[in-house]
Amino acid sequence: MIELTGLTKAYGTRVAVDDLTVTVHPGRVTGFLGPNGSGKTTTMRCVLGLARPTSGTATVLGQPYRELASPMRRVGALIDPRARHPGRTAYRHLLGLAQSNRLPAARVDEVIELVGLESVADDRVRSFSLGMGQRLGIAAALLGDPDVLLLDEPVNGLDPEGIRWVRELLRELADQGRTVLVSSHLMSEMEDTADHLVVLGRGRLLADVPMAELLGAHSAVRVRTPQGPMLADALRRAGGRVELEIDGALRIEGLELPEVGDVAFLADVRLHELSRVTASLEAAYLALTDDAVEYRATTP
Amino acid sequence: MSRAVPFGSVLRSEWTKLWSVRSTWWCTAVYLIVVGASGWLAAAGTDTSPRADVAVQTALTGFGVGQLTLVVLGVLVVSTEFASGMALVTLVAVPRRTRLLLAKTVVVLAYCLVLSALLAVVCALAARTLTSVPGGVQPGDPDVLRTLGLQVGAAGLVGVLGVALGAVLRSTAGAVGVGVALVFVAPPALALAGGDLAERVSQALPALRVGEDAFLAVSTTWPVGMAVVAAWSVGVWLLGAVLLERGDV
Repeated sequence: MIELTGLTKAYGTRVAVDDLTVTVHPGRVTGFLGPNGSGKTTTMRCVLGLARPTSGTATVLGQPYRELASPMRRVGALIDPRARHPGRTAYRHLLGLAQSNRLPAARVDEVIELVGLESVADDRVRSFSLGMGQRLGIAAALLGDPDVLLLDEPVNGLDPEGIRWVRELLRELADQGRTVLVSSHLMSEMEDTADHLVVLGRGRLLADVPMAELLGAHSAVRVRTPQGPMLADALRRAGGRVELEIDGALRIEGLELPEVGDVAFLADVRLHELSRVTASLEAAYLALTDDAVEYRATTP
Repeated sequence: MSRAVPFGSVLRSEWTKLWSVRSTWWCTAVYLIVVGASGWLAAAGTDTSPRADVAVQTALTGFGVGQLTLVVLGVLVVSTEFASGMALVTLVAVPRRTRLLLAKTVVVLAYCLVLSALLAVVCALAARTLTSVPGGVQPGDPDVLRTLGLQVGAAGLVGVLGVALGAVLRSTAGAVGVGVALVFVAPPALALAGGDLAERVSQALPALRVGEDAFLAVSTTWPVGMAVVAAWSVGVWLLGAVLLERGDV
C-alpha cells in the first residue's frame, strides 16, 4: 500500500506535483499515466525518499520510506535503467545491493535467472543495452521479494518478448497480493496490464479510477440509419450527445445502448446498425489529458 | 516483520562495491608502487643518518605524493554514485543517508589504514636495510613507531577527506580538484608566497604529511598538523552528511 496525502513538490517556482492525494492498493496493478513532465517520476522519487516533498506526505506500508527497517524486503523500485556503475559486472552490482540489506547471495543468482541475464552476468554493465538495463533494474527491484513494487517505464526499450514477460510478471506479482505501481506512456501496454489507473496532468490528479470504469465512461453507441437527422433530434431530446461520424453513422454518448434502441423505435426510425463502441485507453486518456499536456508538438 | 538491517551489512556491501570497480585496483597499484618504490630509492640514496626516526622519515617521502591517490579514491567512492546515477539505486537500498556515508567512510578508512600500514612497514624495512644509523633501525624504537603511526593516521584522514569532498561536491572533477588544491597545491604555494598571513593559512590547510612533518608546506609540530588534518576531514564530512541528508537525488 502506498499512500500520498496532499503531496506537493516544487522546484523553485515550478510545481512538479501539486497536492496529490492517492492510495495505491495491494492486489492489483495500478497504472500511473500522464504526459511527459506531469510529475510521475517526481512522485515516485518522493515515495522512495529520494526527493523531499515540499509539503504533504508519502508513506509506504504505513511508514515514510526512510524509516523502513529493511527497505528492499518491503519495497522494490526501478527508477532509471541507466542507474548503475558502468564498470561493475551485473553480478557484483546485484551482490552489493543484496548485501546492503542482508539478503542471501543465492538470491542474486535467482533474480539473474528470473530476468534472463545469466549469459551476461559477469559482463561489465557498460555494454548493456537499454533493454538489458531494464532487466537488470527489474532484477534489483525483485531481490528482496518485496511487498510493494514501483516501476517507472519498465518496458521502455524492451523487445516484444520482453514486454510480454513484464506484463505477465506484473500480473503474477499483483495476484500474489502485492502492491504494483507501474508508469508507462505506452497506452496499449497499460490497457492490457493495469486494473486501476492513476492519471496525472501538470502535477495534478486527473483520475483515480478502475480501468473498466474509465473505458466505460468514454464508450459510446453507434447507429446507422437512413433517417439520420430525425434520429439525431430524437436522441438529443432524450439527453444524448450526438455526433456525425465520417462514414455517416451517428455516435451517441450519454445514452445506453437499449435506450438508443428504444428512442429509435418510438421515433419510428429504421436502424441498419446498433452497436457499442468501447473506447481505447488511448482515446480515453487523450480526452482526460487534453488540457494538461505540457510539451505539445505543433504542426508547422 | 523484517528486522532492521545491521550496519555490518552496509559495510559489507560497500566493501564489495569498492573492489568491484577497476579504479580501486588502479589506485591501489599506483599507491603501492609510488610509495614503496620512493621509499626504497630514498633509503638507498641516504647512506647514513644520525637517528633511526630520521632515516625512517626519509624513507616515507613517497607518501608526500602517493597519498593523493587516497584522496582520489575517497572522492570516487562517493562521486561515481552520482555521476553514474547509481545513487538512485543505492539510496533506495540504504535510505538512511548518513549511515550510508558512514559505511563508505569506514570502508575507505580501513582501506587507507591497511595499505598505508603495509607500506610504512616496507619503508621502515628499506631504512633498516639501506641506511646506516648508529644502533640501527630497531622495530621497537618508540620514535620510529611514532613516525610510522602518524604517517598511517594521516593517510587515513586524507582518505576520509576525499570521501567528505565527494559528498559535498558530488562531482569527480570538482572534488578531486578541490582536494588536490587543499592538500597539495595551496600549502606549498602559500609557503612560497611568504609573509605572516600566508604562513598561517598554509599551516591551517590539510597538507599531506610524511611521518611527523608537513610535506611541501610551512611546518608545524605534529600534534598541530594532525589536529588540522583531522579538523578538515571531520568538518567537511559533517557538511557532506548534512548536504546529503537535505538534498534531493
